[in-house]
Amino acid sequence: MLVLDAGNALFKSPTPGDPKERARAELLLEQMNALGTEAMAVGARDLTLGTDFLVKAGKGAKKLKLLSANLVDAGGKSLFPASTVVTVGGVKFGLVGLSPEGPVATRKGVVGQPPVPAALAESRRLREKEKVEVVVVLAALPYQDALKLSKEAGNAVDFIVQSHESRGPGVPQRNEYATLIPPGERGRQLARLELNLEGKGPFVDLTETERARENLRILDTNLRQAKDRLAALEDESSRKAMEETVASFEARRKALVMQTTPGTQSPGRSHRLSYVSLGPEVADDAEVKKQVERIEPPGSASH
Amino acid sequence: MKTRPRLLVLLALLLTPLVALAAPKQVVLLFTGDNGGEIAPCG
Repeated sequence: MLVLDAGNALFKSPTPGDPKERARAELLLEQMNALGTEAMAVGARDLTLGTDFLVKAGKGAKKLKLLSANLVDAGGKSLFPASTVVTVGGVKFGLVGLSPEGPVATRKGVVGQPPVPAALAESRRLREKEKVEVVVVLAALPYQDALKLSKEAGNAVDFIVQSHESRGPGVPQRNEYATLIPPGERGRQLARLELNLEGKGPFVDLTETERARENLRILDTNLRQAKDRLAALEDESSRKAMEETVASFEARRKALVMQTTPGTQSPGRSHRLSYVSLGPEVADDAEVKKQVERIEPPGSASH
Repeated sequence: MKTRPRLLVLLALLLTPLVALAAPKQVVLLFTGDNGGEIAPCG
């Protein structure tokens, strides 16, 4: 199992001012380490206390690696490692971190360089030099920038996990080769991505096939009803309109049958995304709860 | 000719562990993101 964070984990706002923000960020970093989180991208809401706080936290971390392939200081020097390589279950993963483009308000001279070229250069290096099987980009970027990366990455990237606007859970979106994954938000979910790594090529979304099967079931009902109505119609213009409807249903049905028939899609690597809800049904860890309540007493505004 | 069934049995026994090891390569990834400084999510 590999635990990763797409960034924007530590602070409520990119600008400082909340007296409890440091204590919260330190507790979060400590707990991410304890959970075995392997890597995290540095996002806008991780830089609220400037880069020194985070660089120090990164150096002191037992396991967690803070990554950014495009964040540089005033001298153009990288502040964080661009990537890391980890082997899990015999599979070599390359993990790349990305930060948003533009100047960082909390640290003069620090700037996020254009993320897409930085991600492509690092991902290609991981494929070619490190021979990784799967490249995951942890993209702490606006959604539109992550989307752009997914369209321009070719086969250099397998997954892009995007954080920035707290978009919440969603469905995987494959553009060309890479698949965009929404990781959930505000500690309310864990995204769980099962990978089947037999074969080559882009990862096929198994839940897409399941959705297509369900859509086919609904469409078959609608098609039957449309045919029954057509049989009962006598007026020529009404019949013509209904015939067009039936024809469009049948065309859609053909496409869905293709999607749901085994062997019509490329065999090989596949994935299945689901979410684990972290609601009241998940018991609190007593020791962590004590630490939380020291910062956010029960009944306080943030609790 | 008599030895052939024994050979087949032997081969089958030898190959069984290989078949058992050839389980599909599967890995589970867990992601978090956009936590936004949250330490006490309340729904």
